[in-house]
Amino acid sequence: MKEKNPLSPHIQIYNWHISSLISISHRITGIINIILITLICLWTALLLLGDINYELIQKFFETFFGKFLIMGTVWSFSFQILSEIRHLFWDLGLGFELKTSKITGLLVIFGSFILTIFVFILGRNLIL
Amino acid sequence: MINATKKWIFLKISSVILMPLMLWFLFNLVSYYDKSYDEVLLFFTSQPTKFLFSLFIIFAYFYSSLSISEVFEDYIESEKLKYVANRLLYLFAIIIPISTLLLLFKLSL
Repeated sequence: MKEKNPLSPHIQIYNWHISSLISISHRITGIINIILITLICLWTALLLLGDINYELIQKFFETFFGKFLIMGTVWSFSFQILSEIRHLFWDLGLGFELKTSKITGLLVIFGSFILTIFVFILGRNLIL
Repeated sequence: MINATKKWIFLKISSVILMPLMLWFLFNLVSYYDKSYDEVLLFFTSQPTKFLFSLFIIFAYFYSSLSISEVFEDYIESEKLKYVANRLLYLFAIIIPISTLLLLFKLSL
């Protein structure tokens, strides 16, 4: 019989817990991030169009959708960074206890929003 | 060492390198996204941005392609489909960063 890797059970059969929420979000943000990074590459490519055409891009970034895209990018990257740090601790054999896993899961969720705000405060020089 | 172990080691090494680069890029993204053409152009074509951004793009695609291929491994049953999906993913992860790096080089001229 041909050896095959087992497939993951379909996500609908799980009861939702912090760990499963973080796990599926880690994968979804991973896929979203490659799309966002491609958009960032496209942004640099649009610089080739020159000064006058770039005004359209500048105007797009001033719209609600443009700002939402930037904010979403910062959150998605922040989530991925914190979730990956959690994975690295697991790789070192740390944080597997149920209680610790729940706490670090919550830290990833809330931390991603805090890191997003922190990036905006420092990046936009909002501190005097 | 089996391929899956090599893949896991590459994934972990690239994630450790990528995290500070990602954070560096986020601060700059927030600072520059609504700036004028000249300011954005100067940002992307001056050092150390050009070097750090190139590293960011290379490692981001490397890490993303490895982690997405894990998703394919977990959710695609057909070996043929999985093979095609992985090949397309790797091709995409090579073409886009190389094109971007060439473009950055052209912008710097």
